[in-house]
Amino acid sequence: MTPFRFIKEIRFFMKCITLCSILLLFLGCEAFLEADSPNDQIDQSDVFQDEAYATAAVTNLYSALRDGVLLTGKTNGLSVLFGLYADELDYYSSSGSAFEAFYNHQIMASNTNVKSIWDASYNLIFMCNSALEGLDSSQNLSPSVKNQLKGEALFVRTLVHFYLNNLFGEIPYITSTDYVQNQKVSKTELEKINQMAIQDLIEAKAFLNDTYPSTERIRANRSVVSALLARVYLYNEKWQEAELESSYIIDNTAIYNLGPSLNEVFLKSSKTTILQLKPKKAGDNTDEAVSFLFSSAPPPFIALNPDLVSSFLDNDSRKRDWIKEVTDGDQIWYAPFKYKQNQNTKASQEYSVVMRLSEQYLIRAEARTHLGNLIGAKQDLNMIRNRAGLEDTTASNSSDLIEAILTERKFEFFAEHGHRWFDLKRLNKAEEVLGPVKNNWKITHILMPIPETELLLNPNLAPQNAGY
Amino acid sequence: MTKNHNLCRRRRIYAGCLFFLSISLTLSAQDLLVSGQITNGQLPISGANVIIKNTNTGVVSDFDGRYTITARPTDSLQISYLGYTTLIIPIHNRSTINIILQEDATALGEVRINAGYYTTTDREKTGSIARITAKEIEGQPVNNALEALQGRVPGLEVTQTTGLAGGGYTVRIRGQNSIAAGNEPLYVIDGVPYDINSLSNPSLAGLVLPGGIINPLNTIDPSAIQSIEVLKDADATAIYGSRGANGVVLITTKKGEIGKTTMSFDVSTGINSVDTMTTLLNTEQYLAMRKEAFANEGITVYPAYAYDINGTWDQNRYTNWQDKFIGNTGLNNTFKSLISGGNEMTRFVVGGSFMKETTVFPKDFNYRKTTFFSNLGHQSPNKKFKLQLTTSYGQDKNYLPTSDLIRVAKFLPPNAPQIYNDEGNLNWENSTWNNPYAALESTYKNKTGNLLANSVISYRFFEGLEFKTNLGYSHSNLVEKQANPHTMYNPAYGLTSTSSNALKNEGKRSSWIIEPQLDTSHNLGKGKLTFTMGTTFQEQNMEQLGLYASGFINNQQINNFSSAQNLKILNEANSQYRYLALYSRLNYNWQQKYIINLTGRRDGSSRFGEGNRFANFGAVGSAWIFSEENFSKHLKWLSFGKFRASYGTTGNDQIGDYQYLSNYNVSNSNYDGLIGLYPSRLYNPHFKWEKNKKIEAAIEAQLLDGRISFEVAYYHNRSDNQLIDIPMPGTTGFSGIKSNLNAIVDNKGWEMGIQSRNYETDFFHWNSSFQLTIPKTQLVSFEGLENSTYSSQLVLGRPLSIYKLYQYSGINPGTGLYEFVDYNGDGEITAKEDRQLIADVSPKLYGNLSNSIRYKNWNLDILFQFVRKNGLNEFYNTEPPGFMQNQPVGVLDHWQNTSNPGYLQAYTSGRNFNAYYAHIKFTQSDAIISDASFIRLKTLSLSYKLPLKKESATSCTLFLQGQNLWTLTSFKGGDPEQISGFLPSLKRYSLRVKIEL
Repeated sequence: MTPFRFIKEIRFFMKCITLCSILLLFLGCEAFLEADSPNDQIDQSDVFQDEAYATAAVTNLYSALRDGVLLTGKTNGLSVLFGLYADELDYYSSSGSAFEAFYNHQIMASNTNVKSIWDASYNLIFMCNSALEGLDSSQNLSPSVKNQLKGEALFVRTLVHFYLNNLFGEIPYITSTDYVQNQKVSKTELEKINQMAIQDLIEAKAFLNDTYPSTERIRANRSVVSALLARVYLYNEKWQEAELESSYIIDNTAIYNLGPSLNEVFLKSSKTTILQLKPKKAGDNTDEAVSFLFSSAPPPFIALNPDLVSSFLDNDSRKRDWIKEVTDGDQIWYAPFKYKQNQNTKASQEYSVVMRLSEQYLIRAEARTHLGNLIGAKQDLNMIRNRAGLEDTTASNSSDLIEAILTERKFEFFAEHGHRWFDLKRLNKAEEVLGPVKNNWKITHILMPIPETELLLNPNLAPQNAGY
Repeated sequence: MTKNHNLCRRRRIYAGCLFFLSISLTLSAQDLLVSGQITNGQLPISGANVIIKNTNTGVVSDFDGRYTITARPTDSLQISYLGYTTLIIPIHNRSTINIILQEDATALGEVRINAGYYTTTDREKTGSIARITAKEIEGQPVNNALEALQGRVPGLEVTQTTGLAGGGYTVRIRGQNSIAAGNEPLYVIDGVPYDINSLSNPSLAGLVLPGGIINPLNTIDPSAIQSIEVLKDADATAIYGSRGANGVVLITTKKGEIGKTTMSFDVSTGINSVDTMTTLLNTEQYLAMRKEAFANEGITVYPAYAYDINGTWDQNRYTNWQDKFIGNTGLNNTFKSLISGGNEMTRFVVGGSFMKETTVFPKDFNYRKTTFFSNLGHQSPNKKFKLQLTTSYGQDKNYLPTSDLIRVAKFLPPNAPQIYNDEGNLNWENSTWNNPYAALESTYKNKTGNLLANSVISYRFFEGLEFKTNLGYSHSNLVEKQANPHTMYNPAYGLTSTSSNALKNEGKRSSWIIEPQLDTSHNLGKGKLTFTMGTTFQEQNMEQLGLYASGFINNQQINNFSSAQNLKILNEANSQYRYLALYSRLNYNWQQKYIINLTGRRDGSSRFGEGNRFANFGAVGSAWIFSEENFSKHLKWLSFGKFRASYGTTGNDQIGDYQYLSNYNVSNSNYDGLIGLYPSRLYNPHFKWEKNKKIEAAIEAQLLDGRISFEVAYYHNRSDNQLIDIPMPGTTGFSGIKSNLNAIVDNKGWEMGIQSRNYETDFFHWNSSFQLTIPKTQLVSFEGLENSTYSSQLVLGRPLSIYKLYQYSGINPGTGLYEFVDYNGDGEITAKEDRQLIADVSPKLYGNLSNSIRYKNWNLDILFQFVRKNGLNEFYNTEPPGFMQNQPVGVLDHWQNTSNPGYLQAYTSGRNFNAYYAHIKFTQSDAIISDASFIRLKTLSLSYKLPLKKESATSCTLFLQGQNLWTLTSFKGGDPEQISGFLPSLKRYSLRVKIEL
């Protein structure tokens, strides 16, 4: 082949390549790569520029509590799990479940319910922090809306930390969405947790009004925050502050009163309610009713501990109104009957009650006892006893009174959000009460284990709680 | 198409030769005029080359396969035709020689191999491309073409996730490259990329089809497939750029063939069943275990809920629950038909199939599939313009229980009550058990439709310049429903149909692609230069809608969502993926001796944030055919020899859409009339492609006139910049964040294949092949692994599929409980410090040995598959022996007292917390790892072709086929390949008749 021919061939080939390269021009349009945005997602910066969106981002915090974690009436909520863990509920379903581990005190660091409480709680805390950061940087919202929403987000964030603290002991108190920090965070000291919780609640109170932001008592106002604050002070043995906060609610008789009938306490319009969670749809009732009620014996899942039921006085109308008997003709089992609707109704009748006035009376009674105001304390305690059809308390000294208040709380708050367990724990009664009835009881059971995976992922969270 | 093209060219060359001969030679007196017809046994072969051996003299057979050639009586004729074995026939003074050519898929340098954007041949290929043809697929009674690949291709691992028809597959080409992003190969069907991801919602199907994975290829009839090419190395995959890292699977559907219009009918009927089950305790053994467990804990009064031994249940009952639930025989009926024909200008094929398969579960659960496909090819008389139109549509329907019954079959106590009471109603035994048949009331149904259409239009301006456009469209839609009538629950709950509920999920995905492409080729120097360049525009849209309905006036209405008292939309989502690319290939072939192949691609994808959208990928491949060199040409025993090597980069973008955005999700978790809004994820806009470098070297050779051929390849792939959903501790609010991590994963290994034609006569053929793959996956580096969230899952220098486990050290003779090695010697056994034993469950080697024997009209194909690996055994995911759950018989070997220590610890009912705790650790120790190696008779196909009259093209073939017939293994946990908790691949027998007219 001659050199000329070779060059000619090369030239021909170059022509072809040039032609091909014209195709390259197509690549000029990078705009082609702009994909349509998905219709089920909204850019974060847009969420907090719009009042409806911003409000939805905050009300979603309540739905997370209602459907997902801690206060949920579903079986993964505190009401069921810690009813089983303490002496309120008995377990009747198949062996080997995570529920049984709670009932038999066989919880290990790998327990799935414990992990999901931890993960879902911190996810909820992230939502609160994301809302708080979004609201802080928002330009378009009116100050009143902004304050209301910030107050609610702070309230929920503190509530979740409060429960985590009481379940797990020292836990990280998270106040930002920064994952770089949060992935290697260490435990916050107990004192610091309480200090931050109280500070956050005081701040939340300042952001909120006395009126509820919606027509029903389903979102936080100032009284809701006071009610939680009263409980936090009680757990911290700050008696004066606790009395002050509970009085703030008790004294507001126009809004809150104990009402005439025990059967109305858990209705959505109840005057004893301070905060309740509204069901998802009109006609829905509570998950508590679905979890607790059963209609034939033996119970398919859980039932009230018969010892608890028999410890009620016979004339205690709570036994009549809040407990349901189910029998197979031979033996009797008991279901918690505070919530009575486990099916849909035309309009919703019951909402899940998170905080109610009774607790404030009993908080104040306990605080007053410690402050030496035994008369005031008895008055508060008798308010609750009398409403249940019982006569005045016979306790005369402060230690008897403390005991009487604990007993009253057991009858008043059974199967509600683990009140019983947290009372036994904070009053150091767990060993005395549960030791004899739970075979596997150990003093270290006072705290839940930090989820195993969490310690593996973040060694800074060490040490694991004792005993796990 | 290309086949035809070559043929025409060759024919012209030979015609030229003939002309030359006719004027330069005169007929010698001894010369002889030989004539005859060339057929494939049935049809004439036109265009076959007939050459006088060791000369340049030759002719080409005409349209009727006839030829006439002048030769000396002592000459030999060499007859060759594309795709057929070349024959050499001595003339021996005969004037009429009729020749039957045998099809030969292994003939090097003849069959065109699809490499995606171009074609090549076995002789000229510079990359690693494995090929499975219709013949191998047809020999197996399988529902999905992927299953037909199982155990057949070196470097390819196919695992069926469930033995149920209509399920999913895990496919890995040369191991797992990505720690966390997708590891799925790219699938391309007739030039259209095909998204293999399931449209199913795992919450509907996940308990019966693992992960809710439904493979969209289920709706493509395996018999519609002409060939499947598996592209493995950089040379073959770099032209697919960002989607080539995990290899590419090219599926080519059947095309029409020139000649008489033929029609075929193919009817088969088969049975399938579970081959290997775990042996469980019988009632006597089980109750003894339970009693001993309670006795160990000093419990004499059995608790109220221990119904199995406290007298509530009949202690003499025995039910083999495995037989009851997964021991039934499934039936498969298939009917297929195909019409094909055409001439030089136009060819067509139309085919369809119908299939129904029932399950091994009780009740009438079943899977049904209907498919249709067609292809039309046309070219203009001057052969400049060409057109290919391909359309296929497949629909399948699956009807299943919501949950795989294999779990309940294994765990249910053997003395559990009877299913039905004497009145024929479900028996709840006074609320003492959850009747597993009630769970069958909860059903799952799905319906999938898949449409694939594409056209390839090409125009050849002149020899050496062709413009081609590939236009493709695909559409898949899936509707699935899960019905949960209240009758699935214990009537003790007092539920009515107002508590019945149903879930529905609708998924749609459509995609279009346009790929204009220019091909040029030219002789340059002593070689040939080929250049290809094209662009890709692709858009894919996906929609998903999830509904929940509850409260029906009766359960007949449960499929009618409009009659539900409550209806809510669970999710409505859409996503769009856009993709843009420029690709090119430059190939230079110097005298069929030295070949260099350059490929490259520039890719842009909408899955990444601005600034990270584009990346370049490329590869260089080369081959040296040393058998063409002078030094080896005289070696009679070496008919072909080639070295090839390649190096290049590919990428991986399988991370899902929109992951770089900081968004809030809209949900239906209404509160006070407001929608739910929650943060979608931790925000990271900076992540980019995962890159994968591949290097390969191989030798290919044919010995003894092609009687023996072999290929040995060594490959090494390295992936870095790993796209990971880095696990985050819960305190961050999420379980992970999408990010690139400075981690390197290596996959390297050897692949070997040997084929031999052991024996060949006119009526007896025996071929064998042996393939072996020795893979190795290794985590080479991982920035900050020790402190990272992956430290519990990965170890440097080890494969990705490992478990970090406690090391079981035996039973404490005193307590009778398990003990484990305390690695850090702190006196306590803790997860982080003491789970230090590393168990690797990836395959160490795998391969197959196959034999094909033909004797007259009989044909026998046998394929043995073998795998060497470890697996999770029968103790994985179990409760402690002594609980109210049945156990494998292995638990009988247990601690009874200090003199009978046994293999397993003392039984426990759960009261002994230490025993429970020890058992949990036991299930996280090396005691759950066993040798799961196996040798399996994967395929056996025996066929007999009925002797019909020779002249007629009519044929009738009878087949007896089997799949997964026999397994040799020491593994005790059921099938060594099965995914824990789901049905293993089934054993299948099928009888089949194929008639061709």
